[in-house]
Amino acid sequence: MFQNYLKTAVRNLLRQKLFSFINIAGLAVGLAAFLLILLFVRDEMSWDRHWGGGENIYRVETTIQFPVREDRPTSNTATPVKDLLLDTYPEIGDVTRYLAGSATFQQSGDLFSERVAFAETNFLDFFGFRFLHGSAETALEDQNSIVITQQISEKYFQDEAPLGKTLSLRVAGEFRDFIVTGVIENPVRTTHMRVDTIVPFNREYFQGARWFTDDWRFAIWLTYVRFAEGANVAAVQADLPAFIERHMPKNAGGQETGREFSMKLNLVALSDIHLYSNVATADAGTLYGFVGIAFLILAIAVVNFLNLSMARVAHRAREVAMRKVVGAQRSQIIQQFLGESLFLVVISVIVALVLVEISLPHYSEFLTSVIEMNLLGEPSLMAAIVILCVGVGLSAGSLHAIYFSMMRPRDVLYSNTSPDAGGSKLRLGLVVAQFSISVALMTIAFFVNEQTEYSRTMDLGFNDQNLIVVAGTNNTNSEEFKNRILQSPFINAVGRSSDVPTEGSEDRLTIRPVSAGETVTLDALPTGPDFFRVYQIPLIAGRYLNDSEQDTLRRREQNAQYQAAANIVVNESGARLLGFDNPADAVNQVMRADITSERVAETRIVGVVKDFHFDSARDVIRPGIYYIDYMRHSDMSVRIDGNNRDAAIGVIEQVWRELFPGRVLNYRDMSELVERQYQADTRLADMLTAFTILAISISCLGLYGLAAFTVERRTREIGIRKVLGADLLDVLMLLLWQFAKPILIANLIAWPVAFFFINDWLDGFAYRIDLNLVPFVMTGLLALVIGWFTVAGHAFLIARANPVRALRYE
Amino acid sequence: MLKLHNLSKVYQTDEVETVALDNVNIEIESGEFVAIMGPSGCGKSTLLNIVGMLDSPSSGDYIFMDENVAGYPESKLSNIRKQNIGFIFQSFNLIDELTVEENIELALLYHNIPASERRERVARVMDKVGIAHRAKHMPSQLSGGQQQRVAVARAVVGDQAMILADEPTGNLDSAHGQEVMEMLQSLNAEGTTIVMVTHSPAHADYARRTINLFDGHVVTENLRAAV
Repeated sequence: MFQNYLKTAVRNLLRQKLFSFINIAGLAVGLAAFLLILLFVRDEMSWDRHWGGGENIYRVETTIQFPVREDRPTSNTATPVKDLLLDTYPEIGDVTRYLAGSATFQQSGDLFSERVAFAETNFLDFFGFRFLHGSAETALEDQNSIVITQQISEKYFQDEAPLGKTLSLRVAGEFRDFIVTGVIENPVRTTHMRVDTIVPFNREYFQGARWFTDDWRFAIWLTYVRFAEGANVAAVQADLPAFIERHMPKNAGGQETGREFSMKLNLVALSDIHLYSNVATADAGTLYGFVGIAFLILAIAVVNFLNLSMARVAHRAREVAMRKVVGAQRSQIIQQFLGESLFLVVISVIVALVLVEISLPHYSEFLTSVIEMNLLGEPSLMAAIVILCVGVGLSAGSLHAIYFSMMRPRDVLYSNTSPDAGGSKLRLGLVVAQFSISVALMTIAFFVNEQTEYSRTMDLGFNDQNLIVVAGTNNTNSEEFKNRILQSPFINAVGRSSDVPTEGSEDRLTIRPVSAGETVTLDALPTGPDFFRVYQIPLIAGRYLNDSEQDTLRRREQNAQYQAAANIVVNESGARLLGFDNPADAVNQVMRADITSERVAETRIVGVVKDFHFDSARDVIRPGIYYIDYMRHSDMSVRIDGNNRDAAIGVIEQVWRELFPGRVLNYRDMSELVERQYQADTRLADMLTAFTILAISISCLGLYGLAAFTVERRTREIGIRKVLGADLLDVLMLLLWQFAKPILIANLIAWPVAFFFINDWLDGFAYRIDLNLVPFVMTGLLALVIGWFTVAGHAFLIARANPVRALRYE
Repeated sequence: MLKLHNLSKVYQTDEVETVALDNVNIEIESGEFVAIMGPSGCGKSTLLNIVGMLDSPSSGDYIFMDENVAGYPESKLSNIRKQNIGFIFQSFNLIDELTVEENIELALLYHNIPASERRERVARVMDKVGIAHRAKHMPSQLSGGQQQRVAVARAVVGDQAMILADEPTGNLDSAHGQEVMEMLQSLNAEGTTIVMVTHSPAHADYARRTINLFDGHVVTENLRAAV
């Protein structure tokens, strides 16, 4: 019996090669897309699941809250929190923490910058790092010990045994020797904790820093707690606000952080850090969106499969009728066709797996990730695919299995026409469903691409080209560094600031407007005199700041103090916030600004610059105030000659080596910083486009199959029409209208759905494109045109056929 | 063998009610060869369908081998049918994807017969209808007469007691038609009951009895001496 089923199934496949190909290819491509998306999502959701006992480990994160500005979420906690947590909650069994930093390594005259974790001694044991050499218990016992990863070991010691070897690190301003006491495995790709070298934390390295005091304002530690097995984590989380209330000192003043603040502590499970922490590196919402798309594509593919199978009913009706005549029961017919459907699905899955295997390397490259599929090594994945097979096979096969089982043989055996299985309404409905999904995806993809392009090409208000940002320049030597590189013909200008565009500013200033009334808060940026000229930010009233005494709020000197009065610059939004709708009116106005909790300065606006993006381009431009503070010049922005880029960078490198021996030059390209902001959106847009094209292709495969089917079914009707006088054009119109209908209906369903999703997504952008009807109509027309192209060949074929032949075929 | 008592069949569509069979009373003995004749639309095929249990009567009784099957559900009918009744159609209704051999074997597939016995019986019946040399051919490679011979083989391979033939010669030329008729005649001689619908008076002559239908009624029954 089974053999007979298999035989008929295989011979049917071979007889109807086009149908079979479309059927299998459509499902295989759909399944492949489904698997690719889910593999990506699974990878993103599988971060930090490899730690032993990791399910009980949580990171304690701080969100600092200010009354007049948005919260500042961080991944860190302040120093006092650790002991207080241990004392307060018996559920917490252990705590460890480290400071993520970097240091210059010196190796036979060469300098390298490496990531360094300044960790508490229980750190290695807490996370159960796997040691290739040495052991977790003793590795950090000595203050001058260092644990390194395998790749660091290979980089510095090649094949030599690393234990006992010396590494020279620059800490606290001088090179010190550390002895390698352990080598751990390289960090896995899917972890938030990227440590390359680990040294015991030593307060001495950070003399003068306020971080490691009892001051709650400085959250710098990455703090991890391990709960006892079965502890009620939610209860501890719920008690944390009260914990803060009890322990955090009230009314703690501060300079950079503003005057008043409170904080919120959050326990983030280790496996949630990638997606849900304060500094999440991926967006769970987007991932779920892609899961949705994966299932939609699968749905399209299954509908396709179903539709094409239904179209083939006519070919099989006689066989089924005959089987019934000779005694087949309903259940046997159902078995046969479900089995056949499963058989096709299994073939499709095998093809899909091959497709996935082939595309994985390119896919990984596109995602700048490593997506893997290891079926034999992952029984759960294998099981999921088997379940998928059975699910798709049964759902796709059930409709025609049931139809055939219900069919009465006399309707087939004595009639000359083939039965129209499931009714044309059902098939129409299926095509509508497919195209609804396709058109909705198409519309969404269009707007996502539009918005991405809009963001990328948006005028940021400054010129990001040929701009190099050199970090670590907040020191006495940097002024000479600046003057020396400016002597090169390849260096056009140099500006100073505490932060640079795309990074946002941590500083806020509270100002009393001239008009009295409520104080207002502006984003503050300590700069140098040349900042605006280097960034080419236009002036719209007054003048730029210069290096004069009156324009300087703080000089670089021992025990530098803020001046009691200084000139400042604001941006357009800042001027407006201060009550000047006309920027020119703001010039020469004097206001009192709270520079620190103790220092109030008289500030005179001497210039108003055009608004420019300082935070992410996703955010709205905020009111800004700019002043000269020579003690806050961490970044140096260098405008170079774009035609001599290498030479310019060569000059920077050379002067750096001469002035800062023993320190690694660290520079970034501003245009890359800008580009990086759009990376996630660009990737989203590209991925969406790719999968949308796939979805449409699969839908078209289905439509193509249906067109072929129609040719077969309507030949006689068309023949009669032609005998009665219809010409080629009439017939062509008739057929094209038949295929236009489902696509047009699909548009009506897809538009509101697409509108809802896209509007919601665009709301996340401060500067967004407007939605208008034209792209909706255009994607609808495009779908129609694609649909027509798909069926045109068949329509033309049937329309041109000789009517006599069609009728005689009867 | 079977008895139809006051049997009617009414087809109901949205607006029209068509009476296909109206109070038909027919009795067919075991081993008979009966021809059913009549103009198009007189109810011949409906009658054959009901006798073949492919359709159910609207009212009346259908006694098949001492069992009133008129109200039986599909699965029960299917069981009786596969044990006792073979079909031959005007359009052969062979399955295009199966070879001659496999088409014939199909009639045994749903009988729980071991494969070796199936092969044996198929071989025997192919010999009988003279199609053994075409065993591995596909239906599309055969002439009409050959295809109908395969259909006859399929109808009898299960040792069915009765064969229902619906215009078995309708698609064949006269020579092939005669061939098929002779085959039916020899099956009848071996004891198989045959009920055949036909338009051809010449082919009806092969039967011992002819039932003439008109507008759903039995109008005449002619008995003929054995040929």
